Amino acid sequence: MRTMRSASLGLGRIHHAVAAMALLTALPMAGEAQSWRTVNMSRQLQGADEVRVFVEYAAGLFSIRSVDEGLLYRMNLEYDEERFEPIADFSGNRLRLGVESIRSGLKIDTDKAGELELELARGVPMDLDLRFGAVKADLDLGGLALTGLDLSTGASESVVDISEPNPSRMATARFEVGAAEFTARGLGNLNAEHIEIDAGVGSLTVGLDGRWARDGRVDIDMGLGALVLRVPEGLGVRLRKDSFLTSLDSEGLVKRGDVYESVDFDEAEHRVVIELDAAFGSVEVVWIR
Amino acid sequence: MHMSPLLRNILSAVVLAWITQPSALDAQLRRVVSKSVSASPASAALELSFSDDGVFELRLDRGTVFLDDEPLGPYRVGAELDRAWRALLSEAMTLENGALAERLAAWSPPAEIDGSDEALGRSIDQALKRAVETSVVLETESQDRSASMAQERRLVEVLVGSVRRLGALEEALEGLPGDYRIFVGEDFVIPEGTVVDQTLVMIDGTLRVEGEIGGDVVVVDGALEVSDSGVIRGQARIADARVLRNTGEIEGGIVDVLEEERDLEAELRDRLREEIRAEVRRDLRNEMRNEARMGSDDSFSIMSPVRPVIRAVGGVLEKLILVFVLGLVGAGFIAFAGENMDNIAETARRAPGRAAVVGFAGSFLLIPVWLLGLVALLVSIIGIPVAIAWAPLFPLAAALAFLLGYLAVARTAGEWLADSGLPWTGWIRKTNPIFTLVGGLLALCLAFMVGHLVSIIPFLGFFGGLLIALGVIVTILAFQIGFGSVLLTRGGRRREYQGAYDPDAAWEAAMSVDVDEDVGPGPTGGQDAHDA
Repeated sequence: MRTMRSASLGLGRIHHAVAAMALLTALPMAGEAQSWRTVNMSRQLQGADEVRVFVEYAAGLFSIRSVDEGLLYRMNLEYDEERFEPIADFSGNRLRLGVESIRSGLKIDTDKAGELELELARGVPMDLDLRFGAVKADLDLGGLALTGLDLSTGASESVVDISEPNPSRMATARFEVGAAEFTARGLGNLNAEHIEIDAGVGSLTVGLDGRWARDGRVDIDMGLGALVLRVPEGLGVRLRKDSFLTSLDSEGLVKRGDVYESVDFDEAEHRVVIELDAAFGSVEVVWIR
Repeated sequence: MHMSPLLRNILSAVVLAWITQPSALDAQLRRVVSKSVSASPASAALELSFSDDGVFELRLDRGTVFLDDEPLGPYRVGAELDRAWRALLSEAMTLENGALAERLAAWSPPAEIDGSDEALGRSIDQALKRAVETSVVLETESQDRSASMAQERRLVEVLVGSVRRLGALEEALEGLPGDYRIFVGEDFVIPEGTVVDQTLVMIDGTLRVEGEIGGDVVVVDGALEVSDSGVIRGQARIADARVLRNTGEIEGGIVDVLEEERDLEAELRDRLREEIRAEVRRDLRNEMRNEARMGSDDSFSIMSPVRPVIRAVGGVLEKLILVFVLGLVGAGFIAFAGENMDNIAETARRAPGRAAVVGFAGSFLLIPVWLLGLVALLVSIIGIPVAIAWAPLFPLAAALAFLLGYLAVARTAGEWLADSGLPWTGWIRKTNPIFTLVGGLLALCLAFMVGHLVSIIPFLGFFGGLLIALGVIVTILAFQIGFGSVLLTRGGRRREYQGAYDPDAAWEAAMSVDVDEDVGPGPTGGQDAHDA
């Protein structure tokens, strides 16, 4: 029987309609001498089993957020079709997304950068593996039910915001940052027992705000750069520093033996132990209300 | 054309059904599991996959419409049809599953299109409807003849409009009895538990068999799926069609009626492929012969993976040998022109900025001065013999000045390292000018050596390149500061900086010892100083 579904537009639909109109204006028409291709891909959610998600993206703008419209993912992609091709492969419980290079060599296009906007299913257990190179990334992982997180980035400017608590428990979240400006916000919302941050060269801002469901441990390994630790008041923090030539601005921390602790460490509801291994650079602790 | 009786009956039934039917079947929208909408200036494509594992792809690509990778026909790029298709895709981006299927089913080509685009527009319309709609047999009917048409006008086009399809149908129907049921241009499902005691003919659509078919099945230019519960008692005759899945039972087996024709095609294709292969082989051989003649060694070999390591180690060794050679030359300068070198190094240490500016200016003036001097000497008869000496000796003197200056800067750098207390610099003794010179040379070449080593690591070639660029900048600066210092001190003969009274320097001069190294807090240090 032919189904006649009403075409009522909810707020989410309106949002996407506006986004689509924006895409429509950008939808390349015949005759333009460019090799840019716009792709919109999506997949319906079938079942709520855990999904392992791999995302690869070499260069350009990259964003992630959660989606709640019965979709497993929705991906809007703009890329140079002479050099890349999109990946969207779902088999078993593995979802592979992104772009892969079809031609070697380095092409620097100063006029335009590729763009990948990815929306992932809210509430579906997900082990997320993100790998990107020279990318400006804006990742809002709030609302995703992450059972694992592995983020690896090369020379990039990345902002990772866990804007809502993760409903799934995670053993370890890993961030591997090359030469980059990296900002992580709301790490407390990750619901992770252990967070590892391995940074090469660059500026690193680690926000320990968010709702800590349990005590946690954060390992930060930094080569050369500046680290800003943003700590919410009320969170018990113990910092152990193993460094070569690294200055520490430990305002609000008290030195006890070879560790620095927040004044209320023993009384705090949740405690975070930070193991910092830094070669050259500076570390600043900023307290946030 | 000779036509089999069954085919004649089918055509009659089709025409009859077109005139008289409403269909006994209802259309449903298929569940869209995934979609991909893509557009570029040259093409615009829609790909769908459905919950029944079916797929659909329609794209307008560089002037041709493709349906499931098969060309449907040419369209006018940028014209109404192209624009209407892109507009539909823009809507499709915002829609999912049911809403998307509804929109695709509801689409119709714009009224303004004409010519060949009009027919293509209709074909696209029908293809979209066929893709998203499916029909289910609601009841088993006792009629001998039945037909279902989602798009009635399409019916005659499907059979009569394609001679190829008609030919394939004739081949497939050869020898079959006349009791049949026809499905044209849309997908059908024989649900589980349903028994159909007839021959089923599917043209240009997908027939999914989950129940039982007592007769044969003929599929022309479409697809057949037999699921686990599906049974076909007779044969499955396919002509220009695919069997998407066969996990059920086909008692009479699958007969590909166009096999012979395809074998012929395959034979032709093989022959063509062989010819192309021979051609490519010939070209490749010629190319390899040419490459071999030119002595190219860029091809892959067993050494390929270790080439970067060999190259990097070679680069580092090269720099170490250079440091060794320059160290020997520097030792010669220290032995025979030690005071000159001291004065140059002192200037480089005290006024590196001024020395660099003088060095850069001097470098720019070198060639004009050389040329002017040459001209000035050549204009006089007495000057000609001097000019003969001037021509080679001036560049040689300039090169010596650069070398002396560079070595003096290296020595200054070595002295700075000795004072720095950095790791691995303990061996640089300030009291020994050779040590400070070698230490400084190693420091000046450090960026090159690290750059070579970093290049070994995959994907870090860029950073290796950056380090080597840094090494080049350091070397240029060292040369310019050194050359400037040579110029300021007139080859080290004039002490540019007398400086204020320096007690350490006075002590060193008086005692010939390095106060930093040898004057310790205890009596042993003092004793060592005396011994030195």
